[in-house]
Amino acid sequence: MVESPDFISDLPQSIIENILTRLSIRDAIRTSVLSSKWRYKWSTLTDLVFDEKCVSPSTDRCVVETNLVRFVTGVLLLHQGPIHKFQLSTSFLQCRPDIDQWLLFLSRNGIKELVLELGEGEFRAPSCLFNCLKLTRLELCHCEFDPPRCFKGFSSLKSLNLHQILVAPEVIESLISGCPLLEFLSLSYFDSLVLSISAPNLMYLYLDGEFKDIFLENTPKLVAISVSMYMHEDVTDFEQSSDYNLVKFLGGVPLLEKLVGYIYFTKYLSIGDDPGRLPITYIHLKTIELYQVSFEDANEVLVLLRLVTHSPNLKELKVSASPIQLFPLEEEGFDLFERDYFDYQLPRLETVKMTDVSGIRNELEFIRFLLGTSPVLDTVIVSSSLTDKDAKMDMVVELLRYPRVSPQAQFLFLQD
Amino acid sequence: MSEGEMAIIKPEMMKSYIWLETADGSIQQVEQEVAMFCPMICQEVIQKGVGSSKNYAISLPQRVNPAMLSLIFDYCRFHQVPGRSNKERKIYDEKFIRMDTKRLCELTSAADSLQLKPLVDLTSRALARIIEGKTPEEIREIFHLPDDLTEEEKLEPLKNTMDDPRIRLLNRLYAKKRKELKEREKLKNVEVEEHVDERSVDDLLSFINGRDHKVVKTSKSKKKNKKRKEQKNGTSMGTCEASEKDSKHNHPSKSRSAEVVDNTSSSLGDVSNLLSMEDDIFTPKTEFEDGYIDDEIDPALKEMLDREVEDFARRLNSSWVLSIGQERQPVHFSINGNGATRRLTGPAAGHK
Repeated sequence: MVESPDFISDLPQSIIENILTRLSIRDAIRTSVLSSKWRYKWSTLTDLVFDEKCVSPSTDRCVVETNLVRFVTGVLLLHQGPIHKFQLSTSFLQCRPDIDQWLLFLSRNGIKELVLELGEGEFRAPSCLFNCLKLTRLELCHCEFDPPRCFKGFSSLKSLNLHQILVAPEVIESLISGCPLLEFLSLSYFDSLVLSISAPNLMYLYLDGEFKDIFLENTPKLVAISVSMYMHEDVTDFEQSSDYNLVKFLGGVPLLEKLVGYIYFTKYLSIGDDPGRLPITYIHLKTIELYQVSFEDANEVLVLLRLVTHSPNLKELKVSASPIQLFPLEEEGFDLFERDYFDYQLPRLETVKMTDVSGIRNELEFIRFLLGTSPVLDTVIVSSSLTDKDAKMDMVVELLRYPRVSPQAQFLFLQD
Repeated sequence: MSEGEMAIIKPEMMKSYIWLETADGSIQQVEQEVAMFCPMICQEVIQKGVGSSKNYAISLPQRVNPAMLSLIFDYCRFHQVPGRSNKERKIYDEKFIRMDTKRLCELTSAADSLQLKPLVDLTSRALARIIEGKTPEEIREIFHLPDDLTEEEKLEPLKNTMDDPRIRLLNRLYAKKRKELKEREKLKNVEVEEHVDERSVDDLLSFINGRDHKVVKTSKSKKKNKKRKEQKNGTSMGTCEASEKDSKHNHPSKSRSAEVVDNTSSSLGDVSNLLSMEDDIFTPKTEFEDGYIDDEIDPALKEMLDREVEDFARRLNSSWVLSIGQERQPVHFSINGNGATRRLTGPAAGHK
């Protein structure tokens, strides 16, 4: 074997590409001037990631925009072979016909992962996007989404992430149902959406926006849910119905492992007629995080209790009390704790974190409940929103005198 | 069966060994669990039944020499132990890849032919880190690459990204500057005309030089003002509507998304990065509008200007390919880059 002094150029192309994909696209393309062998080594890379760091910075926005467009166009023209991943994340580009052309090019080159994070503007996803039927991952930000009537969905799509997209609600529903392999769904920054989700393979759901109503119609495989539910100032309340939202929303997710809710999520779940017990037990649920829970509202506390007591394997619980008082309530005496709740056990609960505690009765009773039902409880972290030192002290004293079933349970009081 | 044979032959040996032959003919034996960590060896043993004795040693691919083989087996010996924590493995990996670049390349090649993907990824990562951010010259030196492209070829594949419109813009600026210079000259000449008649050449020269100081200073301060304005305009960029909502729930959206996305892609992180993305802070050294320079009438300065424009043009053409360390400094398309200020500092004192 001839020992050439050059010891990298003759490595197999698969290794070269392995190395080049770890570089920024700019560094990768610069290798084309290293030597004659390196001239086109970069051109078969299948993953292209662009942002404004690809071009030299400038105070003039137009210059950066122009340069970036030229850069991307140049790369695409010089590229050889299929492109599997194309990512463009920059606020410098909003609405340009060049983007349409790039998408057309990509649709003809077997694109599988497409990420377009543009700046605020009126970019409209061109029709060629809906011809990219090999898509497995689609992420769009700040654009208009209007598929043609004949569009049936992306049959291979596994991951869908739409952020601040201008789209008709029924389009989203049919899009979700038209992607049978969908495993990851994220919808953020949507307004007044009534959504019914039917996705038999869905495992991760992330929702963020002003949803009026969410119905998980067919999502048996959901493993993690995170919902940030906002409410429009004009709306005085969620739509009241006789169905218990907690059951409606979480009734069909037996495999759930993690549940996270923000803002008005707990309130949303509490609406409806309480049937008594929950129909399902969440055997896999290990983490519950419910933030902005209004402890004055007995219904919300009930939701919390229901979830906690129906999750025998719950390991970690994080709750924050709500500083938002949209519906100021009289604190309802909560005697539900006196009922059969203390018969429940939380056999695996190890960590509890309660924040923004203001010392009202329901909050304290809840902590007392946890202390009395968790034999392996390890840490209880409490942080308070009280400013009055005396009130804080009173609360701490009260909490410390509650009986603890777990011998190693300890309190950690955090200063905000 | 063959292992049973081995047990009879060497009863004191509790371990079983695999026999391997490298391309140079040398044969060695390695503990079975270590060797089987390599998919290629594993395949040979299971599918073809070789490796159990010296006569039936597995022949290894050419790219694996004995030195690399022993390195690879060190790696395998460490990692095949199941009880190690991720942190331990990471620390070991970082120490392991500390070697000269040539060996690193050889190791990558050897690991690849043995199909040991974790090691290939580790070495590729290391090589990428070496290449990252370096100039082509530096990279060529490290890897002993021949510099066998002509200057033209270096620019050629990327020439179609080198914009005629850019050159046009440049020419336009150049023409504009010339025009403005001429106009100023005309105006100034009208004013100065009377003085010229009265003074000697020496007086004139010293007068012009003296004026330069003041002229340069004022134009500099004007430039500063302009930069400030530009900066203000430039930073009213992409919105942070998410920040409004973020404040509602006191959690950065990033940490939220991190909690849900355990096994899935970092798309959420990217989205929240986008939401909080603001304009990078650009240094106020770049300028395209250089109207203020036109206060100078000194032909020497005019010459400098021409030189700068040429420099600029050259830089534009080569910026794509040869913009190396220069990128580290934010100054790039500036006409009044470091060169200009340096030159201007000559006659005028007190500049940076």
